[in-house]
Amino acid sequence: MAEIVIDRVRKSYGPLTVLKDFSLEVADGEFVVLVGPSGCGKSTMLKILAGLEEATSGVVRIGGRDVTDLAPGDRDIAMVFQNYALYPHLTVAANMGFGLKMRGTPAGIIARRVQEAARILDVEHLLARRPRQLSGGQRQRVAMGRAIVREPQAFLMDEPLSNLDAKLRVQMRAEIGALHQRLGVTTIYVTHDQIEAMTMANRIVIMKDGEVQQIADPETMFAQPANLFVAGFIGSPGMNFLKAETRAGRIRLFDQDVPLPPAAEGTITAGLRPEHFSAGPGPVTFTTRPMLVESLGSEKYVYFEAPQANRLVNPIGRTDEERRGDRLVARLMNSGPITVGEELTLSFDPARLHVFDPASGRAIR
Amino acid sequence: MKQSLATRLTLYASVILTCAILIFPIYWLIVTALSQPDQLRQLPPKFWPEEPRWSVFGKILEERPILLWLSNSALAAMGAVTISMVVSVLAGYSLSRFRVRGGDSLGLFILTAKMLPATLLVIPLFGIFRMTGLIGSMWSIILAHATLIIPFTTWMLKGYFDTIPRELEQAAMVDGCSPLGALFRVILPVSAPGLAATALYGFVLSWSDYAYARTFLTNAQGNWTANLGITTMKGEYISNWADISAAAILVALPILAIYLFLERYLVGGLTAGSEK
Repeated sequence: MAEIVIDRVRKSYGPLTVLKDFSLEVADGEFVVLVGPSGCGKSTMLKILAGLEEATSGVVRIGGRDVTDLAPGDRDIAMVFQNYALYPHLTVAANMGFGLKMRGTPAGIIARRVQEAARILDVEHLLARRPRQLSGGQRQRVAMGRAIVREPQAFLMDEPLSNLDAKLRVQMRAEIGALHQRLGVTTIYVTHDQIEAMTMANRIVIMKDGEVQQIADPETMFAQPANLFVAGFIGSPGMNFLKAETRAGRIRLFDQDVPLPPAAEGTITAGLRPEHFSAGPGPVTFTTRPMLVESLGSEKYVYFEAPQANRLVNPIGRTDEERRGDRLVARLMNSGPITVGEELTLSFDPARLHVFDPASGRAIR
Repeated sequence: MKQSLATRLTLYASVILTCAILIFPIYWLIVTALSQPDQLRQLPPKFWPEEPRWSVFGKILEERPILLWLSNSALAAMGAVTISMVVSVLAGYSLSRFRVRGGDSLGLFILTAKMLPATLLVIPLFGIFRMTGLIGSMWSIILAHATLIIPFTTWMLKGYFDTIPRELEQAAMVDGCSPLGALFRVILPVSAPGLAATALYGFVLSWSDYAYARTFLTNAQGNWTANLGITTMKGEYISNWADISAAAILVALPILAIYLFLERYLVGGLTAGSEK
């Protein structure tokens, strides 16, 4: 077990820079999740950490040792790949023991450690099989087993759950969390799924276009997003954004005067999470007509139009859906029946509002 | 989608016709070998001899050094395939995995060597072998066949390595292998079907050569390969086609045996289960 220090790591392919001065310190035993959309550089960073890619500049230290120029096998890390990368010609037991064998560990010790890891992951009955005879979930466990058998200083996981179906993913998420609790090995986990990041991480690193957007624990990430991108990325559904002009410390939202933090000036982007709307009257109350209602049983997603004056012209987002600045969503718990097109009273607490500078996207507090 | 009867009939008819065209020469070779020499030119031809002459095989094995020719062919093919596989595994893997400036053009350039007719290469090769004193030695055709085989096998193996996920060797390297160790411990065992198919291809290419053997080995009777040996069975005035056909069958048998032996490796799917 060890702390990991990544100091101003940069990766360029010719003129294209995919990782811009990435710095991160991971404490011994910490579970850090790198999260971000496709192409944000998170997997590249993990491969640089593993030694599978070379950094253009910067330093990587694992357990106080500079490993920047070391081969992957000399870094004392284990990696779980998105497609598991099990050796198809070897049995499960040989797959799990391969790394130890490469290090010249005596056969007796390999057998004992493979048995122990197989017991922890409940794959003892599969040890004699080959990868092609396993289900997706079993392959995932074997890939985990191959990592833990080595007892490395750190685990690196590259979207290890993305090939599993939704139900199995939730189950394995909990199992990986429990395994981390049990083994206490420093873990860096890459995913594009913000729910995985929120549920598993001690700390989350959000990335976009090769740059770190924010490093924080899940609670802080959710409650105090550093910028519009983080605010929109974390949370499901994502945060609603509204345009507003400040006048004497107040803005007009939904045709109401709403008080704001004193630092805000001029045109701002206000953010409000879907779950911070309530059905019925509250501190700021307005009426609307739902365009669409999605019921998930215990909760409802109510989609409604933003007032003309509050619509964003060019809100943050990558997909057409995310770019829609005229549609808002409220996540209502136990709200009773709601009908599309019929008048609905909603409210929110202005203390829940997030304020962003529309030009830089940074949060104003 | 359900096919109409007419479509199916056309499909079956064309399959049967193709098979017949492919199989007929082999069938006729067998008929020729088993017929009495005086029955070969009779009209109408007989599609199966009344008294098949099975003794022809024993006869030609006694009269001609067929076993020597076969062992020379095998030696040439195994030597050429061994050299070709060593070179093309490393070259194909490099072309598949490493981004080298001009790598794509280099790959295509290798293929152009194959586009030259074998007879064009005979002249420079003859010059080189004469200088190095290899004319008449088995090394001449082993090396000549390797020059013929390597471009294709390199290209075939590059294609095969391209289908193997890079994560496999990355996992091996994280597990402590060097890049070469990952190739030998993980990639090559996983590539067994591709290696078998490539080696078989090279073997057949070498086995079926006549031009190189004729050029480099004519004066070294003890090193004649099977194809070269069979052509000497054809006389200037009289040719015993039944004997020649029987010899041709004996020469084809080893390839058939090797194919049957390698068949299980040729069936793909060994990589199944490595991912997802």
